[in-house]
Amino acid sequence: MATQASRAAGRLMISPAVILLFLWMIVPLGMTIYFSFLRYNLLIPGDNPFTGFENYRYFFTDPNFWPALFNTLLLVGGVLLITTVGGILLALLLDQPMWGQGVVRVLVIAPFFVMPTVSALVWKNMFMNPVNGLFGWLAGVFGLPPFDFLSQAPLFSIILIVAWQWLPFATLILLTALQSLDSEQLEAAEMDGAGPVSRFFHIMLPHLSRAATVVILIQTIFLLSIFAEILVTTNGGPGNASTNLTYLVYSQSLLQYDVGLGSAGGVIAVILANIVAIFLMRMIGKNLET
Amino acid sequence: MARASTPQRKALVTVVAWLIAFLIFFPILWTILTSFKTEIDAISIPPKFLNFHWTLENYATVQERSDYFQHFMNSVIISVGSTVLALIVAIPAAWSMAFVPGRRTKDVLMWMLSTKMMPAVGVLIPIYLIFRDWGLLDSRTGLVIVLMLMNLPIVVWMLYTYFKEIPGEILEAARMDGASLGKEIVYILTPMAVPGIASTLLLNIILAWNEAFWTLNLTAVNSAPLTAFIASYSSPEGLFYAKLSAASTLAIAPILILGWFSQKQLVRGLTFGAVK
Repeated sequence: MATQASRAAGRLMISPAVILLFLWMIVPLGMTIYFSFLRYNLLIPGDNPFTGFENYRYFFTDPNFWPALFNTLLLVGGVLLITTVGGILLALLLDQPMWGQGVVRVLVIAPFFVMPTVSALVWKNMFMNPVNGLFGWLAGVFGLPPFDFLSQAPLFSIILIVAWQWLPFATLILLTALQSLDSEQLEAAEMDGAGPVSRFFHIMLPHLSRAATVVILIQTIFLLSIFAEILVTTNGGPGNASTNLTYLVYSQSLLQYDVGLGSAGGVIAVILANIVAIFLMRMIGKNLET
Repeated sequence: MARASTPQRKALVTVVAWLIAFLIFFPILWTILTSFKTEIDAISIPPKFLNFHWTLENYATVQERSDYFQHFMNSVIISVGSTVLALIVAIPAAWSMAFVPGRRTKDVLMWMLSTKMMPAVGVLIPIYLIFRDWGLLDSRTGLVIVLMLMNLPIVVWMLYTYFKEIPGEILEAARMDGASLGKEIVYILTPMAVPGIASTLLLNIILAWNEAFWTLNLTAVNSAPLTAFIASYSSPEGLFYAKLSAASTLAIAPILILGWFSQKQLVRGLTFGAVK
């Protein structure tokens, strides 16, 4: 039983973390909300009059807003789909007996440790570049014209790059979960005449659901704020074809110095993330509390 | 379907798995290979896989042209500094939540995790303006503070899950024997907590090393870590594949090795022990 003294000590020890996180959350967020109601451009000094919801109106009617929102969802959804499905398949494969499993595992998880700017530049220049990229050369080998990935299918290309970075993470988590599956259960099912397909859908998949939930939750947090990959490869272009919300807010606030408008976008990004978070927390709550 | 793996089946699985693993790893391998090529070999079509003139000159050029070492040190200082600071704040917090939990401990933990739901872009402008006014733009101090705060919830959670697994009975026994709170922490808790703390340290160094949103937006020249330095190669005048590859290889090598070394902890750490 905790004593009175240790309780007091506990409160004392937790307070720095709580205070720091509280300040980190409330001060900038409060400022963002405040700025979002001001006409405030860094290039136009002077007083910053209160303008009510004008910035929000501009942000919502900005021709780039809906494409950016759509791109954000497509980017998150596309990467989640590839990494979750691919991760399950890869985990099933790597769970089989084979020679050199350790090395295979090390090779497969490597992309997760590559910094986003490096992977973006390597893919952009050495693979997707139509003139001296490997994909262009490969197309040529098969007698096809080279495909200019980043200008003809920019969002798709970015989805590919990001999926390459996150597939290892999904695989690693799902593989770990798969290895904790009780093999006796599988054998019993097999004795009862369950084929590989029904064994997968009735035993393995339910067992993996918890791990899959965690993968989706964690990836969503990171994928909603994809930034470096876009900055380095396409700068959000051509036009707004690969602009997500994070990039849109960045370009409005730090490239056009419109603090008011950028802040309104920031508030909207926070609201969007929280809507997604509520859904995810529900899912997690269902899956983790058991 | 054979239950026990037949040799043929095992051989087939091995071939398929190695092939896929090779494909996934290939971009990294290609970057490493290219870093040893001359610029002409690097862009030659058809590509040269191993039959090129091996050279180390790219590594020398990368250092000469831009003081690579400074950016490397920025990365080290920022990632290690922010992680250590976060640990200093988080260890007592996680300790008290794991061993003297109150009624609201679960709520506090959930609240801490929820701060991660706030996208960085939502608070970029205020942080940028505060940094500008306080002279913290393009400073290592500024980045250490931001990354420390950014990773703090994860650090607290990781440590909490590790501490939770330390059996409370041992502590109670020590208390019965009259150990003071200080003695209990120094002699009993700390040795048992060290592996968890080490894993947390490793994982957060990896996360901070690769963090790119804040480093790209808050640094320019002086404090730019490797993430931001590599991005400068995207400008047309910096477009040399062999040199880009050399710089990239140097940037990812330490963290790749660290990552491989800690892959087991990675799963536990990043999923807060929810997946075992």
